[in-house]
Amino acid sequence: MNLGGVAANNLRRNKLRSALTIAGVAIAILAFVLLRTIVEAWTAQSSDVANDRIVTRHKVTFVLSLPKRYVDEVRGMKEVKIATWANWFGGKDPNHDTDFFQALACDEKTFFEVYDDMRTTPEQLKAFKEDRQGAIVGEKLLKRLGWKVGETVTLTSQIFPGNWEFHIVGTYEALKKAVDPASFLFHWDMLNERMPKAFQDQVGWIVARVGVGSSAVDTSKAIDDKFESSDVQTKSQDERSFQQSFLGMFSAILTALNIVSAVILGIMMLILGNTVAMGVRERTGEYAVLRAIGFLPRHIALLVIFEAGVLGIVGGGVGLGLAYPFINLGMGRFIEENFSNFFPFFRITPESGAISMAIAVGLALCASLPPAVNAYRLHVVEALRRIA
Amino acid sequence: MSETQAAEEAKGTAPSSNKPPIIRLRGIKKTFWRGKEPVRVLENLDLDVPDGSFEALMGPSGSGKSTILNLVAGLDQPSEGTVEVAGQVISGLSESRLARWRADTIGFIFQSFHLIPVLSAQRNVELPLLLTSLGSSERKKRAQTALRVVGLEDRAGHYPRQLSGGQEQRVAIARAIVNDPRIIVADEPTGDLDRQSADDVLGLLTKLNREFGKTIIMVTHDPAAAERATITRRLDKGQLK
Repeated sequence: MNLGGVAANNLRRNKLRSALTIAGVAIAILAFVLLRTIVEAWTAQSSDVANDRIVTRHKVTFVLSLPKRYVDEVRGMKEVKIATWANWFGGKDPNHDTDFFQALACDEKTFFEVYDDMRTTPEQLKAFKEDRQGAIVGEKLLKRLGWKVGETVTLTSQIFPGNWEFHIVGTYEALKKAVDPASFLFHWDMLNERMPKAFQDQVGWIVARVGVGSSAVDTSKAIDDKFESSDVQTKSQDERSFQQSFLGMFSAILTALNIVSAVILGIMMLILGNTVAMGVRERTGEYAVLRAIGFLPRHIALLVIFEAGVLGIVGGGVGLGLAYPFINLGMGRFIEENFSNFFPFFRITPESGAISMAIAVGLALCASLPPAVNAYRLHVVEALRRIA
Repeated sequence: MSETQAAEEAKGTAPSSNKPPIIRLRGIKKTFWRGKEPVRVLENLDLDVPDGSFEALMGPSGSGKSTILNLVAGLDQPSEGTVEVAGQVISGLSESRLARWRADTIGFIFQSFHLIPVLSAQRNVELPLLLTSLGSSERKKRAQTALRVVGLEDRAGHYPRQLSGGQEQRVAIARAIVNDPRIIVADEPTGDLDRQSADDVLGLLTKLNREFGKTIIMVTHDPAAAERATITRRLDKGQLK
């Protein structure tokens, strides 16, 4: 037995109160982990990207397109190793009208070279290149919509009218958390051919990889400088910045989530502080007796702090214990299956788990400080007189 | 020397007066403040407690009995005067030195026992030993010895709620003696007990005094308890009568 043991035992005095406090901490940590996982899943798309990939779009907005000839000009730059392009198609499966997924018209020859974090087999890639109506579909989308490789599917688009028939020739696997595992990729040529003459040979954006010895920042500037005097100016960013500028549109939501997280943790701290303070008040007599038999003020303060620490550890542990199965096995799987465009990876990261635990213990210790200071300052004679 | 002491010495139950006092209080004044109003509790009090004696302090409420105990135990400081206990002038010692000195020299017994309800009897007794460098097994051994002295070795694993009031007080006595202090300070040790339990506790204190040579200074309102003491002092309005 030591001071820590005495403090841990103290939690057994009022089991209902301890259990409710632990439940309060556990729920707060569960909610915090959930909100943090949402924020992380959202921002993972910008944090887990290739450093050497540059996205070039219209200077005004990525809704406007670029002339396709820009692709060749970008490819001709000495800083650029390889470049590809894509257009947003806005495809939907008429059989699953409410199911949203990313459908892109891309250059079948270069797309998977630039996006080497999307893996398909050489045979399927060959089939994709050879079939003008061919499509490569993310494994999760294939599973979600019940499609099979070899099947012909028809999509409609909110942007491009008519029915669009594709042959699914293969699937890809997302190798990074930031990569959407449920995209639909088909030949840009097929889209271009069916466009009115005035809208042909336009690309949504260009994606280039910089060569060895070149930096993404310098290359971005070089691309933009190149088109500065053209009729359509560009804005180039490394992929991380591009994703962040996209995510920036939702920054208010992320800020709100962070504020809610902070409020939850604040409430948790108040619950803990109240429990510890009540315990200290009830045990004034015992603390006085401990001081009388030789314990120092710091021993008494440590008892209070240890007790709060144990509450934080147990509450945090229970919260995390609940959060892992709830998020990683239940909610996370559902979200990854159904909302992979927004949340391709929805799991608690080890860092999140560690941070949550540290916050639970840290806030418990902070909450214990005022009662610990009171216990430290206990006037033994006064306290003994009160209990006599 | 008080009348009672003289009577006890005449009976041969008080320690010899030529033994050096283990507790010496000289010129003690103690003033508390009730707002801006001073309340003088002790007035120029001198007290010698011989080593190995069993003293009872009696007197009406507010007469200063508990204040004397607190001064002797180093829980409080006099407004004026010196307190010397076991050869150490304790008035003026720092709080941490006093705490260490108290842990080594003084054993406390309170009216309301104040055992920690979530610790077994043995662990309650072990508490003062947590302040020492003793290992776990040695602490356990000493706690068991103390419980044997108070006749509760078979209740070592019991929690306070599983013990009677008298047994709880005996556990508190075991806690008071586990670090083998020279002085035991008891504040109304039988105040919360029935007659039988009170007699058992007083018998135990007598045993600690006679067989183990502990100096005991006990505050009590109970004449039966005072009868067990070798010296009885009466306090009134801060003065020894």
